[in-house]
Amino acid sequence: MAQALIDDWNGEDTSIAEIERELGKLRDSSLLPGASNMRTSVMTHCAWVPRRWLDAAEQTLAGLADRHPSRTVILIPAPEEPDGLDAQLAVRCYPAGDRHVCGEVLELTLRGNRVEAPASIVLPLLISDLPVFCRFRGEPPFGEAPWEQLVDIADRVIVDSGEWDELRYDELRASFDTAAISDIAWARLEPWRVLLAGRWPEIAEQEIRIAGPPADAALLRGWLASRLRRTIRPVAAADELTVKLGGETVAPPRGEVRSPSDLLSAELDHFARDRVYEEAVAAA
Amino acid sequence: MTATAAENPLLEGLNVRPRPEPCTLVIFGASGDLTQRKLMPALYALAVRHLLPERFAIVGAARSDMSDEDFRERMKEAVQEFARDDFRQDVWDTLAEGMRYTTLVGSENQDEDSLGRLLDEVDRERATEGNHVYYFAVPPAAIAALVREVAARKSEKGWTRLIIEKPFGHDLDSARALNALLRERFDESEVFRIDHYLGKETVQNMLALRFANGIFEPIWNRQFIDHVQITVAESIGIEGRAAFYEHAGALRDVFQNHLLQLVALTAMEPPIDFTSESVRNEKVKVLRSLHTPGPKSVVRGQYGRGFVDGEEVPGYREEEGVSRDTGTETFVAAKLYVDNWRWADTPFYVRTGKRLARRETTIAIQFKRAPHPPFEEVAAEALRPNVLLIHVQPNEGMSLAIGAKAPGLGLSIRTVHMDFLYGSAFREGLPEAYERLILDAMLGDATLFTRADEIEEQWALVDAIAAPWQRDRPAFPNYAAGTWGPPSADDLVHRDGRSWRRH
Ligand SMILES: NC(=O)c1ccc[n+]([C@@H]2O[C@H](COP(=O)([O-])OP(=O)(O)OC[C@H]3O[C@@H](n4cnc5c(N)ncnc54)[C@H](OP(=O)(O)O)[C@@H]3O)[C@@H](O)[C@H]2O)c1
Repeated sequence: MAQALIDDWNGEDTSIAEIERELGKLRDSSLLPGASNMRTSVMTHCAWVPRRWLDAAEQTLAGLADRHPSRTVILIPAPEEPDGLDAQLAVRCYPAGDRHVCGEVLELTLRGNRVEAPASIVLPLLISDLPVFCRFRGEPPFGEAPWEQLVDIADRVIVDSGEWDELRYDELRASFDTAAISDIAWARLEPWRVLLAGRWPEIAEQEIRIAGPPADAALLRGWLASRLRRTIRPVAAADELTVKLGGETVAPPRGEVRSPSDLLSAELDHFARDRVYEEAVAAA
Repeated sequence: MTATAAENPLLEGLNVRPRPEPCTLVIFGASGDLTQRKLMPALYALAVRHLLPERFAIVGAARSDMSDEDFRERMKEAVQEFARDDFRQDVWDTLAEGMRYTTLVGSENQDEDSLGRLLDEVDRERATEGNHVYYFAVPPAAIAALVREVAARKSEKGWTRLIIEKPFGHDLDSARALNALLRERFDESEVFRIDHYLGKETVQNMLALRFANGIFEPIWNRQFIDHVQITVAESIGIEGRAAFYEHAGALRDVFQNHLLQLVALTAMEPPIDFTSESVRNEKVKVLRSLHTPGPKSVVRGQYGRGFVDGEEVPGYREEEGVSRDTGTETFVAAKLYVDNWRWADTPFYVRTGKRLARRETTIAIQFKRAPHPPFEEVAAEALRPNVLLIHVQPNEGMSLAIGAKAPGLGLSIRTVHMDFLYGSAFREGLPEAYERLILDAMLGDATLFTRADEIEEQWALVDAIAAPWQRDRPAFPNYAAGTWGPPSADDLVHRDGRSWRRH
């Protein structure tokens, strides 16, 4: 990974206007003498990150490094704290050829009533004309204002149903017509899908038994049921995903396990609705 | 997995990149420089990304004597030195397992035996189903005999494909003869003529730029474009390849292939789709409509002593293996016209050379000036025409020069650049051209390879340029190493009231 140059600013009880002003200053000061820096952006990337997910989210973002130059807006809800908005801004520049490419990371803590109006905070900070990706860490606040508002703004919403306490797929489905939805748990299943697709046509008739972590197993079952148009036995709980076809255990897919950053990075390259996923969720 | 999503519902939505069918890659010239610096590192990069066929073998062949073990050891060192990925023992072991070497000996019959026998053995061991890709990484003089051998061995079982390195022939006659030889036993779809420029991401991006954006194509013509400049400049010399370069020169080494392909991609009409036939049909139309320039529209040069990177470097005639009074050109510049409705009267100024001021390959589209600048006090110099610059290498990307108001009172205009650096928007490491090309050949996709008729059109133009050169001896050297070529190259453009881009 290329070495990043970082410049930052912290503000408590701040405002959007102040954030924009400080960002402008940071961009100017991150200009190295004699070299011109570029701000190249391919998206605005927003992330809804409850505190207990903050470390994991920061690690994933760091691993993403310079792969998707973007403005990243991390929203940390703190409903129990007094009303207000805190911000930590950083401009990170990575070497590219003979110059640097800069992206911005805005970590905003929404305190008290600010939790109810995240759209009004994010909207002015979007980069115009570029797609908006919104990642929800943990179980999203389905049915609540932050979910409704951010799904409305985003072109693509990314969740990981493997992080949920309960598989609330019905509530997720309600948003399929509003935004394109990606699920990291689904992305993790891709090697399994490639493997099982290789078992066509026998698999169409075979007895299928699936055991595994709740989200992975449910999605795999939903996928097979919707694609093969047949019912599949309910899944059993287990730590590792296993599949038996006609009584024989399928050797798991080979190849490297992709890191959370790699998985997220791959999702950030997709724009269109994933109908196969939507049907798998419907059948899960 | 050969079924499509229509047959196999589980494939739907899966972005399974087609993996090539099982095959054996035979590399003729396995002891050479290209194999070591480009082919092996590319194969390793493909292995790292799981893009090679599941059942795969590599058979190296050359006249040097080597054991399988020696060959593997040499190739391992090549990967460690030249690959873009870190060395991984597990990836290497899988690749090396299927690597063999055979020595080609003088008599053709014996060759056929040893290589043929080895191929049968490998096909059996590795279950590669008789599918063979032959990579001809050998000097041009060695190609014909090897092609005949491969033709004789062409099996009924499995497919055969040939990848042929440049230079493809040394003039129109020799290229035609080689094409005729290939046609005797092979179909055009089995022949893959490499021009590695076509494997470069930025060259392909030219197609994306032109045909995926609504704003460029309407102005991509004589009405809005004043002229086009294409530069393929190297700062290095001949790097010890005198024997080859003395016969080739800049005209045959770069102009005939890379430069003319860049002209074709810049000037071609939109293809109806991106299949190999559609794209190449459009390119060959451009090559066919290139107007043969008169002798005054072509400039040649040869470098003398000079400075590169602050160090003094010898002139071409002082390079080892080069004759002291050689007339070989190390620089060519030309003014070309594409005779069709889109481009009539729009010059394409092209140049290529060795030991130029810096390494860069660019395509510059210079638009016509704004017809009537309504600003006073604007020096004509400050108001420059718009230029769309495509950087093929290094720093792949593009930039658009536009006039903007300088801050302050009054209205003075300055040229600023809007830049798009490929590496800054897409930070994935760009694949090397050879990775893409080897994989495409294994998949049977010839879009990025040069078709027989393209090669012949390219040579026809080169022959027409070179014909008058036989008659007179140029006063060489005529440019100093580390500069932008001879003064006559500047005159070529100045005569038309234009100038080469500033760098
Ligand atoms: N090097 C590059 O970067 C580059 C770039 C573009 C194109 N090319 C083209 O690629 C080809 C190979 O270039 P190179 O630089 O690798 O040359 P090289 O280093 O001289 O290697 C030539 C190879 O061909 C073998 N060879 C020579 N004569 C042969 C014959 N009669 N039968 C069988 N094998 C023979 C040589 O091995 P033995 O002596 O052991 O037989 C050696 O392995 C040339 O056509 C060149 O124009 C090279």
